[in-house]
Amino acid sequence: MDESRRERFERVAPGLVEPLRRYLVRRTDPDTAEDVLAETLLVCWRRVDDLPEEPLPWAYGVAANCLRNAERAARRQRRVAAKVAALEPRAPAREPADDPDLGVALGRMRAEDAELLRLWAWEQLTPAEIATVLGITGNAASIRLHRAREKLRIELRKVQRVSGHEGSREGRTS
Amino acid sequence: MNDDELRQRMSAADPASTLPPGDPAGVARLVEDVMSTELTTENRETGTRERSRLTWVVAAAAVLVIAGAGFFGVRALTGDDPTSDPVATEPASVELAVSDTAGSGKCMVPTPEALAQAQVAFDGTVTSIEGDTVVLEPTTWYAGGPATSVVLDAPSEQMQRVASGVAFEVGGRYLVSAVGGHVTLCGFSAPYSPELAAVYEQAFG
Repeated sequence: MDESRRERFERVAPGLVEPLRRYLVRRTDPDTAEDVLAETLLVCWRRVDDLPEEPLPWAYGVAANCLRNAERAARRQRRVAAKVAALEPRAPAREPADDPDLGVALGRMRAEDAELLRLWAWEQLTPAEIATVLGITGNAASIRLHRAREKLRIELRKVQRVSGHEGSREGRTS
Repeated sequence: MNDDELRQRMSAADPASTLPPGDPAGVARLVEDVMSTELTTENRETGTRERSRLTWVVAAAAVLVIAGAGFFGVRALTGDDPTSDPVATEPASVELAVSDTAGSGKCMVPTPEALAQAQVAFDGTVTSIEGDTVVLEPTTWYAGGPATSVVLDAPSEQMQRVASGVAFEVGGRYLVSAVGGHVTLCGFSAPYSPELAAVYEQAFG
């Protein structure tokens, strides 16, 4: 039984490492990404019997939890550090490079909706896979994804009106 | 902008797009490391169960020392009157969290002996709940006080995962205890009841 767990993990894990690393790099700083990657793989190893046939969306869900825990711990640490040294806690948010309008537009959305869009565009997941990551039903994922896209379009239009980038942006993306 | 264009625009801004792929040797090493970790060291699931009680006491002591250093550090930095007695000043709040491993262990019946392990224990009323943060105003301190408020970081998803999690409601009265900064669940922390209060009395009386 122990041998089969090993075999399963050895077969599955190498395929998870790279996508998980990318998932984490997109959402946190490089050091935290490395730590949380190891943590995520540990959870996958421990729960190898629970790994579904398509393990990646499930593993993204695990990574999301591990990242939340790491960031909660970091926030707590920063709070203490801030009290002692009166330092400003730094914002962990990542802004897409080269497209400030998109960063602003995503930042104006609800965090859950922006995350839904990232899973869709960056991790290239289907609504069913997104549902697995977030622990919601496929139906809910589809509906929320649809609404989030609408919302992003609206926010982008608002931001672009303000920054006056519309013309050049349209040219670049079409 | 249609869906494909939207997706494309987001992909173009993908922070990982410039990330070079990891080398296969490194990946293989990582996978090997992960599999050997469980054999040589504790992990979250087995770890807390196998740890001796002494470990918890030491860990809790370390947390208290750090908290104390932080507290007195602030006083030093803000230039509080050096003649004032630090013991007479109540810390404004105590911060607690729900353990990441909550729900992974087995529950035991709350006994005074087990409860006596807690470094923080109080009887208090929930004054506010904002998002995942529950603020309680303690009325009686059994251990770990005094403080004017207790801030509890209680992510609802984590609480939900624990069958015996506590459903906090504003205005409700609760008995709460914590070990190493983490709230004890499994019935050790629960809405106030005379039976549980008796266990608290016995544990810390």
